[in-house]
Amino acid sequence: MLETTTLKLGFLPLLDSAPLIIARERGFFADEGLDVILVREHSWANIRDRVSWGLLDGASMLAPLPLAASLGLAAPAVPMLTGLVLSRHGNAITLSEPLCQRLESYQLPLGEALRLAIREEQLSLHLATVYPYSCHHYQLRSWLEQHQLEPDNDLCFSAVPPNRMLEKMEAGELDGYCVGEPWNSLAEQRGSGRIVATGEQIWPNFCEKVFAVTRSWAERNPNSHLALLRALKRACDWLGQPAHRAEALELLTLPPYLDRLAGLLEPERILPLMPQFHLNNRPDPADAAFLLRQMQQCRQWSGDDIEQVAAEGFRPDLYDRIASGN
Amino acid sequence: MPLDVLLIDTEPGRIRTLTDALHALGHRVVATLPNAETLSTHVQQLQPDIVIIDMDGPDRDTLDSMAAMSRTEPRPIVFFAETGQPADTIGEAIRAGVSAYVSDGVQAERVKPILDTAIAQFNAFNELRLERDQALDKLEERKLIDRAKGLLMKHQNWDEEQAYKTLRKLAMDRGQKLVDVARHVIDALENLLDNAKR
Repeated sequence: MLETTTLKLGFLPLLDSAPLIIARERGFFADEGLDVILVREHSWANIRDRVSWGLLDGASMLAPLPLAASLGLAAPAVPMLTGLVLSRHGNAITLSEPLCQRLESYQLPLGEALRLAIREEQLSLHLATVYPYSCHHYQLRSWLEQHQLEPDNDLCFSAVPPNRMLEKMEAGELDGYCVGEPWNSLAEQRGSGRIVATGEQIWPNFCEKVFAVTRSWAERNPNSHLALLRALKRACDWLGQPAHRAEALELLTLPPYLDRLAGLLEPERILPLMPQFHLNNRPDPADAAFLLRQMQQCRQWSGDDIEQVAAEGFRPDLYDRIASGN
Repeated sequence: MPLDVLLIDTEPGRIRTLTDALHALGHRVVATLPNAETLSTHVQQLQPDIVIIDMDGPDRDTLDSMAAMSRTEPRPIVFFAETGQPADTIGEAIRAGVSAYVSDGVQAERVKPILDTAIAQFNAFNELRLERDQALDKLEERKLIDRAKGLLMKHQNWDEEQAYKTLRKLAMDRGQKLVDVARHVIDALENLLDNAKR
């Protein structure tokens, strides 16, 4: 028995919101007896607050966001959890063309060139990510650390909405960013930047977006929750078939969803940077623990009960129930 | 003591009414911006006590990020829900679609009247917008009903009254709204008339 059948789910107009949109447009929610309204939101902060305060039943979220919400890192703590990974990969780091040319002129490996420019030549670099509690943010820091840079001392960070990143870099206000598509391949195509690393290279097979609800909602609506997860998993599998790519893009272009943004998503160009929807949808507490350590490292979180927070936030047991058909 | 307020809102009309209301409370509105593009410069220069932002813009994440990054700075900014506001106020603000960020050290009880004013203005604006949308819907509905009536008159050689009565009866029989019946009639009759032309 479904506890509730009329549901409101939140999404941002991004490529990896596709599973929610496909589940609705292809009737997968309806097949589960669910009447789902998709609400296009304007920011991750809105999504967090509206899910926390019960104005949305659930949402597609950045993988670190339900953990940050549970810990109360940026807002009053509301425990959240995920039983389904919606996508993996899809991010990339792009540096501006002028910066790339300067680094090239040193004729050194990239990391050495960056250290020389910043530490010897006092170049002050300004990089952007979309949100402080995002894989983009931690991946950019990881990549800098892989090149022996100290993110907190060597550079400046800021948050910029995805659709404004490229124009800010072209205006010389940013030297680079870490973001999802189409803003990386578009920079290359316009000759204003170069992709220097993909999320897949930095953290292979890591989760990117998850479907999250509050713990109290999950406890009140166990069957409706599983029905939602089943419909979304079906959408992820559907998206995983190359034959559906064109139709998927067509559905994403519909007015309530990605609108004009979808017009920038030319399949051939972004293919290498496509989020993977069906690679593996099982949430792994080890991934959550890894994200929590990132939060500690950049001093967003000072707690230490990593294992417990990870196990409560990423719930493979829920995934296993829908995957086994129970 | 007056507080310095910075407003970020995409609706010019609402900026005006909210500014007036805050002035009436004795506060200063130090800047109004349509988006947060130049926000960090404004915050550095003007040092507002509170930033009020429309939740329908893409810029809230910039403020969330400034809050996260400012923690180690001398005067960090904090999401208003973390400043000890009553749960009701937080819920009302989220429902009304307005959010706020507060400079650390400004007392919660000084922030609350400002929040209440913003919530009231946003709610009033939302109501107006709803009324306007409903009025537009009504107009659209009337147009559809008129078109269905016209088609029935032409197709059945009925007068206006008979066409209208038939629509009303169909709606009652089917338990549907008049406008939905009108849509059906338009679909059915336009197909018929199109086929007849061929």
